[in-house]
This record gives sequence, structure tokens and C-alpha cells, in this order.
Amino acid sequence: MYKHSMFARIPAYIFSLLFGLLVSLSPFGYGSMHLKLIYCILLISFVAPLQYSSELLLEYLHKTQSIMMLGIINEYIDFQVSPGQPSSIADDAEAFSLVGSGQDAANLINQKEIHWGLLEDSIEDRLDKTGGMLSDSEKTEGEAKEGEMDESKKKSTEGGKQGGPPNKKLKKDKVAGPAGKTARGDGDKAAAAPRVKPELALPTIPADVENSILEDLRNRVQLSNTTLPSACFYTFINTHNGLNCSTISHDGALVAGGFSDSSLKVWNMAKLGSIGNSGELDSAANENTHGSNGGKRSYTLYRGHSGPVYSASFSPLGDFLLSSSSDSTIRLWSTVFNTNLVCYKGHNYPVWDVQFSPYGHYFASASHDRTARVWAMDRVQPLRILAGHLSDVDCVQWHPNCNYIATGSSDKTIRMWDVQNGECMRIFIGHRSSILSLAMSPDGRYLASGDEDGTIMMWDVSNGRCITPLVGHTSCVWSLAFSCEGSLLASGSADSTVKLWDVNSSAKQPKSEESKTGNTNRLRSLKTLPTKSTPVYSLRFSRRNLLFASGALSPNV
Amino acid sequence: MSIVPKETVEVIAQSIGINSLSTDAALALAPDVEYRMREIMQEGIKCMHHSKRTTLTTDDIDSALSMRNVEPLYGFASGDPLRFKRALGHKDLFYLDDKEVDFKEVIEAPLPKAPLDTSLFCHWLAIEGVQPAIPENAPYEVIASLPETKKPEQKSDELPVDIRLPVKHVLSRELQLYFNKITELAVSMSDSILFKEALGSLATDSGIHPLVPYFTLFIEDEVSRGLNDFQLLFALMRLVWGLLQNPHIHVEPYLHQLMPSVVTCILAKKLGKRIADNHWELRDFAANLVAHICKSRFGHNYTSLQTRLTTTLLKPFLDPKRSLPQHYGAVQGLAALGPHVVRLRILPNLETNLGILEEILRDNKKKEMTRHEAWRVYGALLVCLFLQNNHVLMCMWCIPASLN
Repeated sequence: MYKHSMFARIPAYIFSLLFGLLVSLSPFGYGSMHLKLIYCILLISFVAPLQYSSELLLEYLHKTQSIMMLGIINEYIDFQVSPGQPSSIADDAEAFSLVGSGQDAANLINQKEIHWGLLEDSIEDRLDKTGGMLSDSEKTEGEAKEGEMDESKKKSTEGGKQGGPPNKKLKKDKVAGPAGKTARGDGDKAAAAPRVKPELALPTIPADVENSILEDLRNRVQLSNTTLPSACFYTFINTHNGLNCSTISHDGALVAGGFSDSSLKVWNMAKLGSIGNSGELDSAANENTHGSNGGKRSYTLYRGHSGPVYSASFSPLGDFLLSSSSDSTIRLWSTVFNTNLVCYKGHNYPVWDVQFSPYGHYFASASHDRTARVWAMDRVQPLRILAGHLSDVDCVQWHPNCNYIATGSSDKTIRMWDVQNGECMRIFIGHRSSILSLAMSPDGRYLASGDEDGTIMMWDVSNGRCITPLVGHTSCVWSLAFSCEGSLLASGSADSTVKLWDVNSSAKQPKSEESKTGNTNRLRSLKTLPTKSTPVYSLRFSRRNLLFASGALSPNV
Repeated sequence: MSIVPKETVEVIAQSIGINSLSTDAALALAPDVEYRMREIMQEGIKCMHHSKRTTLTTDDIDSALSMRNVEPLYGFASGDPLRFKRALGHKDLFYLDDKEVDFKEVIEAPLPKAPLDTSLFCHWLAIEGVQPAIPENAPYEVIASLPETKKPEQKSDELPVDIRLPVKHVLSRELQLYFNKITELAVSMSDSILFKEALGSLATDSGIHPLVPYFTLFIEDEVSRGLNDFQLLFALMRLVWGLLQNPHIHVEPYLHQLMPSVVTCILAKKLGKRIADNHWELRDFAANLVAHICKSRFGHNYTSLQTRLTTTLLKPFLDPKRSLPQHYGAVQGLAALGPHVVRLRILPNLETNLGILEEILRDNKKKEMTRHEAWRVYGALLVCLFLQNNHVLMCMWCIPASLN
């Protein structure tokens, strides 16, 4: 018996193929072939043929007196005939992919209540409370802040001796600091989002780390469709097609690359800059220097996996690193001690993606076994198993309030799950190929997804609808990232470009779809930054809104 | 009912030893085979996407097979595309050429070079949205050739690149003819009246300004190549003289090209092939030329000119190893520059020079030629001293006395 995949979409050409199958099978008479066909038709919930094709089919069925076939079709198949000539691919935006349970079921799921707001006591809230603006009433705080400003100035002058981008970043943010402070709150959607309580027990951040994060937030550059970000690009060279994934830490200093030879390599870009200029040997960089030539390696090598490493993720504070591999394990590494801490075994098939939660301690993984699992760092067994996808789960992302997880799959849908009870809260249908990347906006309202055709879709989490598709890339969209105040979306693709999109204009639904799609599309794409034959593997906006991108140089592509 | 024809199934069955496969069985197996192939391909494509690639490799297929719990296929590696060779005697039968390799050869072959280790580079892709024109970024043509994704906002991203096309120098037909004629005359018929006329026109014509760079280049070339040809050299020097005399043209920018050629004519070891060539005259002429350049025309503008010239001229004068004609040239040059130069440069070194000359002149065994040259130099020294400076003459009298 065949076991057809249930997610196969039926555009008109496949429908005609089906029709051809019927035609060729009928001379054989009823028998096992027909049973097989019945089974596969049963799996189809509805078909959207064009008028010509449907008429052809019905005519044939009447002619050959295939009463059984007619009966089956009338009972189980829901025809939605649309006028027009057959074309190779259905172009209408209403072409849905199959979900196995029917469109109604999807709508039912999408009507569940979802609390998409931000956490109550987030760092941004604390920033507002402690007076992001200089206020007279809190003089002590002001003085402390001035002290911090002096410190940051000192840091930036020290950083001035370092060469390269870290230096520029500090200088730039020093300039942007005062401007950032006064302009904060202007169009800051995160401040306007409703607040919710956390469902998971979240770890607390140590005070000094929190202060440095607050400092970063104060010096954040406000981005908008007129103020475009600066982008720093990390290029991997001599990868010999072996780089499978790359990820950048939240502050942009650490870059990790997962390779198909099962190794994980981490570069500390901040330290490399200082070593290069001061010429001192840093002990941390000397860690794994038993190389064959005895030379100093600029990266830290983590060995432990027994299969290609498909995904890596840094903890928000940069002290832990997670990696997932085709050997179906997830490993936790410490970037401070440069060792492997834990090996999480739970999946039975390659783990395609792993992501730390925005607050650390919890992480989610997506695997070929069609499930996503939620883990905590201190338990070897998963806490939740999120099952429901019809094909393997390709990517996973946490919601900013850590209460929901979004997963994208090869069944061309994105599902949103509640972490506490593991229920599927939303199904987003609309993509035409498997979803490769996801990003959630910082205010928690929007979800952006990129697929392998190059289409990016912006979804509204609250009602499960697609706001708009963003067309522009010509090849797979490997990575998406929202800027910290949620006004810009950056996308990196295999066509070696980084595109910047305007979220505010994308969020407005177009009134008349036919005439305006072309024009509105142009309004939303702000900038294309081409690279030199380097497909862009990962993107990250640092807390100060500096865009970091990484990719491997592929000159033959 | 599938892409895989039943003949393929039958052939594969034969290759594993099943000779009598019925056609019905083959027909039933074909869709199954296709389905499994599609399954493996789908899994392989998933592996490919997760390795962030867009080309399917054999590693992806191997991973897909291992996901299905099947042993991987050995003997295939992604590299060059498979090369099929046509089988002899058959029109459309192709095979993969599998060469047999001797084990010994493989073991004893030298190790291939180890591939370079992965490293990470950092550069600015954009600064506040604008891409800087650094070599790590895509060149401007790539940006310009993205027509379908080009948005109107992108026009503001004008790279600050100043592309300067090479300047075309257009010479009129008449000028070209003029230049060709003069150079021809200089090279071949430098004695003729035509050449004199040509020199005259060079000295007075106001429209030959565009030709000046070409003339200087021509002179430079010919001097460096034609040190054997006395006539040519003289003609070239006359050309220079003509150019210098022309009040309408600006020779200044090309002075740095003219000077070396003129100084060569003064100081060269050997000017002209034949003994009868009166290279003394050439050196005199060139010396006067140089002095003219220095003193009257450009000396005021370029203060270092004279000093540089003096140094150049002085070097052979001080060096006893240089040949006597070179000494002669140096003396003439220095003399032409004026009494100051004579006093400062020649007088201090007079003692040594005269000593050398004396030695040569006393030595009767030396060649006649050398003695002649020595006399020439002595004469030049005398002349310059006599003409420029009177009270040194007193010490000069003693020397001829000793020689006689």
C-alpha cells in the first residue's frame, strides 16, 4: 500500500496527473489498484481544480460508467471550482496546503486565545523605570549613569586602540548614545505591548550583567525606514563546503560554526581584535593549540558530535553554547571552560535546529522525527514534546515572552505551541515550500518566516493570518532577524544578499490586492546589500542594533 | 506507469542474478522503485537544505540512506560530474570509465597538500545603510546588475567612486604630418637645407605646442639609442635648441625629459662611431645648451636645477677613472655655467686634475689619442680659467713650463 504524504498540494497539473492515472487504470478493472487509489483520495481533503479540468473529469467518469469512483468523489472530495484555463502552478493566493484535518480544523485552532504580550518585568521595563531619560528627581541614578558614561568612554578609548569593527561599534554607539536616549519611546512598539506573566520559572540575571545590558539598551541606535543599520559581516573562508550552520552571540563577539566533519568552532572576535594589535598571547586563545604545525589557532574547537552539526545557539549571556547534530543528540558546551557539559539524548533522528530561550536555561529542539522538544539545561530528559506536524520540523523559535514556541516544518506550515501544556495554538498556512527560517518580532506581535523559494511571509500572531508576503529573494532564505525595536526585518539568503524590509508598512494590510501588490512590495523592501559570492547563513541584531551577518565564501556558486 | 521503464527493472534484476523476471512483475516493481527513489531524494534535499547548500551531493544521499536505515553507497564522491564514455560498436550505449589503479602507486604517491584551515574575516557590509567601496564588498557592477530587485530607494546609494577614463589626445592631421616630417629629417637628412628650414620653423612656429611632448619623447628615445650616430645626435641637439628658442611654447613641463638627453651628450664616454667625429664640438654645443637652459630660461624658477646640474657635471670631473672626453665635457659644462661655478668647483680640484694630466702628457708611451685628449682637456681648463678668472693665471704659468 502506498503511504502518500499527506501534505502534497494539489495544483491543477497534479490533478490532471491524477486524472490520467484514473484513465489508465480503468481498463484493468476493479481491484487492488482501485483500492489504493481510494485510499489516497481519502487522504485528500479537498481539491481546487480549474473548470476545464473538472468538466473533463466528470465527463470521463460519466462516459465510462465508473459509478464507484463517482460515489467516492461525491462523498469525500470537496471540489472548489475556479474559472480559467489550466496553468502549471496555481497562482491564486488562496491555494492552501493540505493539513490532513481540513481547513476548518485549522481555523478552529487559530481561534484559541493567545497572549502575545511581553513579560512584565523584562529588562526593557526596568530600563524605563530607572529613567532611561535623565530626570532631575533621580540625581543619584543620574550620577551613577554619568559614572557609567565615563566608564563607557574609557572603554571606548581603550577600544580605540583595538582595530576593526569592535572599535568602530563602540565609537559609533558613544555618538549615538545621547541621540538614542532622547529618541527612545518614539514608535517603540515594545513599550506599547501588553504585559503577561511568565509561565516558566525563569533564571535571574546577575546584577553586573544586567547593568551592562541596560547600558547597551541605553546606547541602542533607533532604526527606522530612514535610519538604516550598519552591518558587520563575518566571512568564513576555506570551508570547502563544510560549513553547515553558523550563529552569532547576542553581543556579536562570539561566532560559532558547525561543520559537516562534526566539529564546532568558535571564534572570539573581540579577543582576536585585541590580540592582533597588542601582539600579546592570550591564554584563552592558546587552548587547543596542539595543531600539527604547532601554530596558534584563532578558534576554539569543540569535538564531541558524531555527525554533521546542523545548528548552534548561544545563550543570551554568551556563556553557554548548544549544538545539534545528525547523530540525534544535542550537546551543551561552556564557552568559559571550553568543555562539553551535557549530552541530551531524546530524539531518534537528526536534530535540525536548537534554540535557547531569550532568558536562557530553557531550549527547544526541532528534529526529523516530526516533533519539537522543550528542554531545561539541568534535565537530560525533555520537558515537553510538541507533536503535530506532518513532516519533519525544520526550525524553531521562542516567543519573546518565553510562553510560546513557533516551529516551521517541511509540511509548509508553521505552528505555534504553548509551552506550559504543549498544545498547538496556531497554524499558519500559506507557504508553498518548506520553511527554513523563523523570526519573532520583539513586541511579540508578528512572526516572519522564510522558505526555500525566497518568499518571506509576515504573520499576525493574534489571529493567525498572513499579513503580507515579501517577495524579493531569488533563492532559499536562510536567516531572518528583527531589529530590537521591531521596525526593520533583515533577511539573509542563498543568493548572497542581505535585504532590509520595513515592518511598519508591511504590517498594514493592502486594501486592494490585485493592483497594489507590485507597488506596495517596493515600498517595503528598503535595501539590498549584496555580498561577494557569500550566501548569508545567519543574522543577528545586537542589543545596540548593529546588524551582524555571517556566511561562508563560496566562489564557485 | 512510472518514470522507470520496465526494461531498467529487468536489466537490474539480471545484474543481480534473477534471469527470469516476468514483465508483470517488472511493471509492478517500477512505480515502487520510483517511489523509493523519490523518498530518498526528498530526504537528501532536506539534508542539503540543513547544510545550507543548494546543490545536492553524495553526502546528502548517504545521510538520507542512513536515516532510512540503509547502508550507504560506497564508491561515489561528489566532485567532477560523472564522465560517460561511449561504448565501441554501439550507438547509444555509454559506460563509466573505471580505471584500475595499482595499489602500490596509491600508497607510494606523495601526500597531497593539506587544505587550508577555516578562518574568519570581518568587514563592514554597510555603514548606516550605505555599502562602502572596499574590496571585500561586491563591486559596483554587481550592484548595478540587479535590475529586478532594484528599488527606487537604491538610487541614493551612489558609491563614491571616481572613474576617470583615459584622456584621448587628438592631434590634427597637419600636426601629425609636421611631426613625422621633422623626425624623419632629423634621423636621415640632417645636413640638408630642409632640416635647417625645419629648425627655423621649430624655433618660431606658435602652433606646435601639442607636439612638444612627442618631440621630447622622440629626442629622449633617439639619444638613448643613437649614441653611435654622431649626425643624429647633433641633429637632436639642434632640435632641442630650436625648441628652446621658440617663445610661444612651454617647454618647462618637459624639461625633466630633455635635460638627461642633453647632459648625456655632454658627458657620454663615447659619442659617435668614427674617430673623425667631432664630438668635441658636440660637447661644446651641448654644454652651451645646458648653460642656456640653466641660466637664462629656467634657472630662476627652479633653484635646484643649477645645483643638480653642477653635481652631475662635477662627478666625472672629480673621478680620475672617467675617460678624458668625459672630463672635457664636464669642464666645458661647468665653464659654461659661469665664473662662480668655476671658482667653487673647478679651482679646488685643479691641483689633482692637472697632476693627472701632467702624468699623461709626460708619458710618451701613451697613445697619441690619449695625449690628444689630454691636451684638449688642458686647453679647456685653460680657456675657462683665462676667460673667467684672471688672477689665478699666475699659478697657471708654471705648469706649461714644467711640461716643456
